[in-house]
Amino acid sequence: MNKTIFTWITITIIAVTTSIAGTTYYFTITMQGRRRLVVSTTTSLYDTGLLDAVEEKFEEKNPIDLYFISVGTGLAIKHAKRGDADVVLVHAPSTEYTFLKEGYGVCRKIIAYNFFLIAGPEEDPAKIRNLNVKQALTRIIEAGRNGSIVWVSRGDDSGTHVKEKTLWASIGFNWTVLREEGWFIESGSGMGKTLLMANERNAYTLADVGTYLKYRNEGHITLEALVSEGKELINVYSVIAVNPEKVSTVNFQDAITFIQFLTSQECQTLIGEYMKDVYKQSLFNPAVEILKQENSPITTWIREYAFFNGTECPSDYRNGHPELYK
Amino acid sequence: MVWEIAEGVQKAFQLIVSGDFAVIDATFRSLYISGTATLLAVSWSIPLGILIGSGNFRGKHLVKGFFNAMLGIPTVGLGLILYLFLSRAGPLGIFHLLYTPTAIILGQAILITPIAVTFTANAVESVEPEIKDLAKTLGASETEARLAVLREALPSTFLAVIASFNRAIAELGVAFMLGGSIPGLTRVLTTSIALETTRGNFEFGIALTMILLAIVFSLSFLVNLLKRK
Amino acid sequence: MNLLTLHNIEKRYGNKLALCNVNLEVKRGEILAVVGPNGAGKTTLLKIMALIEASSRGEMYYGDIKISKDKIEEFRRKFTMVFQKSVFFNTSVYENIAYGLKMRKLPKNEIKQRVQEALQLVKLEGYAKRQARKLSGGEQQRVSLARALALETELLLLDEPTANLDPKTVSIIEEAIADVNRRMKTTIVIATHNMFQAQNMTHRTALILNGKIVEIGKTKEIFTSSTRLQSFASLENVFSGNAEPRPDGTTIIDIGEGIKIQAAINTCGKVSVFVMPEDIILSKRPLISSARNVLKGTIIEISDFGSIVRLRVGVNGLSFVVQITKRSFLEMRLNLGSKVFLTFKASSVRLV
Repeated sequence: MNKTIFTWITITIIAVTTSIAGTTYYFTITMQGRRRLVVSTTTSLYDTGLLDAVEEKFEEKNPIDLYFISVGTGLAIKHAKRGDADVVLVHAPSTEYTFLKEGYGVCRKIIAYNFFLIAGPEEDPAKIRNLNVKQALTRIIEAGRNGSIVWVSRGDDSGTHVKEKTLWASIGFNWTVLREEGWFIESGSGMGKTLLMANERNAYTLADVGTYLKYRNEGHITLEALVSEGKELINVYSVIAVNPEKVSTVNFQDAITFIQFLTSQECQTLIGEYMKDVYKQSLFNPAVEILKQENSPITTWIREYAFFNGTECPSDYRNGHPELYK
Repeated sequence: MVWEIAEGVQKAFQLIVSGDFAVIDATFRSLYISGTATLLAVSWSIPLGILIGSGNFRGKHLVKGFFNAMLGIPTVGLGLILYLFLSRAGPLGIFHLLYTPTAIILGQAILITPIAVTFTANAVESVEPEIKDLAKTLGASETEARLAVLREALPSTFLAVIASFNRAIAELGVAFMLGGSIPGLTRVLTTSIALETTRGNFEFGIALTMILLAIVFSLSFLVNLLKRK
Repeated sequence: MNLLTLHNIEKRYGNKLALCNVNLEVKRGEILAVVGPNGAGKTTLLKIMALIEASSRGEMYYGDIKISKDKIEEFRRKFTMVFQKSVFFNTSVYENIAYGLKMRKLPKNEIKQRVQEALQLVKLEGYAKRQARKLSGGEQQRVSLARALALETELLLLDEPTANLDPKTVSIIEEAIADVNRRMKTTIVIATHNMFQAQNMTHRTALILNGKIVEIGKTKEIFTSSTRLQSFASLENVFSGNAEPRPDGTTIIDIGEGIKIQAAINTCGKVSVFVMPEDIILSKRPLISSARNVLKGTIIEISDFGSIVRLRVGVNGLSFVVQITKRSFLEMRLNLGSKVFLTFKASSVRLV
C-alpha cells in the first residue's frame, strides 16, 4: 500500500515539476533579458510568411520577442480587448474604427495595402473577366440565380469577409439575405480552405492576393484572378496598439517600438520586396510613403476606404505619440 | 493525391534525416507538452477512475455518464472555455499563463481527463468481483485485497494512459487556443500542421503528420509488445 | 475441541434470508460435509466461515475466543476457502500460489518450496510458469486447491471442489484432500452435493435446506438413520421452486432455469422436491409414454460404480442424477456430451 502511495506521489511530483520546470526553462532561454510583445494578427499577413521576415529583422534590433498569434481580424481584436494581445495587425477599417472609438485601440498606422481579387474558373461562366467590380458582382448574382455558378463566401468575421459584405452592399445587396440563396455557400474557414473549396466546386470567391498567389503558385488551385484592380477591392493593413489606460496589463512601450519599426523605411522596403522575386509581383505594397503624396489615385482610394475623419488615426487616439503622424 | 502524400512521406524522411530544426523542435515540444499533460491528468484521473469504478455510491451512473459525454468534447470548444479562464481578463489571468507551454499542458490534461477516468473506471469494473474474495481468503487485508483488484486492472489502465497521451498529442484546438502556435515556445506538431496547411505547404504538413503518426503507432506497438509479455 | 463455532448465524441479502439461525461446530481435525441442494445456502455458509463475508447476526468463536470485527483480518489467515468457480489473478500459476504466502511475509526460499510441494500434491509439477487463466477447467481447480494447500491453514473450506470435473481430476483432488487431513491434521469443511463423496470422505455430515441446518451427525450414522438425508442422499435430485396447483389435482413446480416439472402432489408456494435417480428413465430418443415429465439434456459427469453407472445430466442450468446399469450404459454408447432425454412420472416427484 505504502509503495503504491509512494509511486503515486512520485508521479504527481514529476508531473508538476516537469510542467513548471519546462515552462520556466523555455522562458529563461527564450527571453534572457528580453521582453515579450504579443501581436494578434490577421491570417493573411502571417500565412504568407511576411511576419516571419519582419520578426527576424525586428528581434535583431530590439530586446523584444514577438509572439504572433495568427487568428484573423475578428478574434485579434477580441484578444486585444481582453488584454491578451499588445498590438493587433488587421485589415478591416470599419471594425478598426469601432475598436478605436471604444477606447481600446490607439496609435493606428496604415502600413501596407494590396488588392483583393475575385477568383473564378478559367472558363468564367459568369463572364466577368476584366469588368469593373460592381458590374462583375452584378453578373455573378445573375449567373448564380439562374443556376450556372456558385459563390463561396468566407462566412467568418475575417477582414476578407468584412470586405465581401461591403462589396455586396455597394451594389445594393445584403450578405445576410444572399447567404440564404442556393448558389451561395459559406466555407466558414480560412482563406486557404475557402480557395480550395472554390476550386473544388469550380466556384467564384473573393480572395486576398497573398494567399491566392501562394496557392496558385504551388499548384493547389487553378482558379484565375478574373477581377483584380479597382478601388472597391483595395485591402488596407493597419497596426493598432492597445490603450494602456483601458487595459492596464499591456506592453504599450514596446508596442510603440514595433509600430515605429513597421513604418520605418527599412521595414517598408522589406514589405514591398517580400516574395516579389518568386511571384513576379508584390504581395504587399508599402503604404507609408504613398500616403504622404497628395495626388496619386491609390492615396485617394486608401483615404476614402481606410481613413477616419480624414486621417489614419484621429488625434484623440494618438495617445501621446504625435511623432508617428508627422 | 497519392503523389502528394508520397511526396509528403519523402519530405518527412528528408526533414528528419537532415535534422530540420523546426520539425525536431515541434516534435520534442509535442512530446514534452503532451507527455507532461498525460502525467498530470493521470495523477488525478486514475485515483478518480478507481474511486468511480470500485465505488458503489448514489449517482454513480450520473458521474460516469458525465465523463462519458465529456469524451466527445470538441477540442476547440474546450480551448475556448479555457482561453476565457486564462485570458488576462479572465479569473486566472493574473498568472499570465496564456500562450505558454503550461497553458497547453493544463488544457490537454483537462481534455484527456474524461478518457483517463472512463477507461480506468471501466478497467476496475471489469475485474471479476471474486478477485477481492480470493485475495481476502488467501490472507490479504481489506486494503491489500483492494490493491489486488487494482493490480488486475493495471494492464487496461495502462491502455488508458496511452489512449490519453494519443488524444493529447493529436489534438489541435487546445494547443492552438491556449498556445497560439508561437515558434520555439508553443508551436507543436498539430499547430504546425494547421499552419503549414493554411500556408499551402502541403508536403510539409504531410511530413509533420507522418511524424505524429509514427509517434502514435510506435506507442501502440510498444503497448502490444508489453501486453504479450 | 472445537476449531470453529457458529452461534445463531443469520445472513440476509436485502429481504432474502439466506441463512437462518445456523449453529455449527467444526471439530479440530475432522472433515465435515455440508450437503444440500443448490441454493440451500452452502456457499454463503462457507464464505461466512471463511470470514470473507459478514453475517447479519450471530457470533463466531475460534476455540473459545470470540471473533470480533476488529480481529477479522487476523483470524482470516487461519482459514482459507476454495471457490466452486476457479478465480485467478491474471498471472502465472507460481504467482497465484505464492500470493497468500507473500501476504504472510514468508521468506522467498520458503515460498518457493511451498509452491513446489503444493503443486506436487495436486500432481501439477512443472506447471509453475504457466498462465493460470489458460489452463483447462480441471487443471484450474487443482491449482486453486494447491493455492489453498500451500498456505497450510488450520481450516480448509472447499465449495463443491469436484463439481463438473472429469473422474481423474476428481480422484486427484479427493486424494489431496484426504492426504492433508491425515498428514497435517488440517480441518476440512466440504460443501458438496455429491453424496458419494460425502459418504466416503467425511467424518461428519450436515444437511442444509433452505438456509437451515436440519440434520447433523456422524456421517455413517446420519446416512443410515436420517430419513431426510437418506432420501436426499440417495437421490440427489433435489429442487426448490414455486408450486402452483392445477385443477386436475397435480402441481406444476417451476424449479428455475425455465424448467417446470409436474408433480402428483397437492401443494402450493415454495417447496423442495426430489426425484429418485432410479425413477428416471434415460433414453437417446424421446419416449412415447404416459409419463408427464420429459426433459432434454447433456451428460456432464459419469461415475462408474461397478455394475451401476451414475450419470449427471445437465438440463439448462440444472443437473439431474440418473442411475442406470453398466450394461445399458455400454449398449447405449453414452459419453460425456451425449444428448439424452430424461422421462419420469408426475408421481415420482416427492416432497423432501
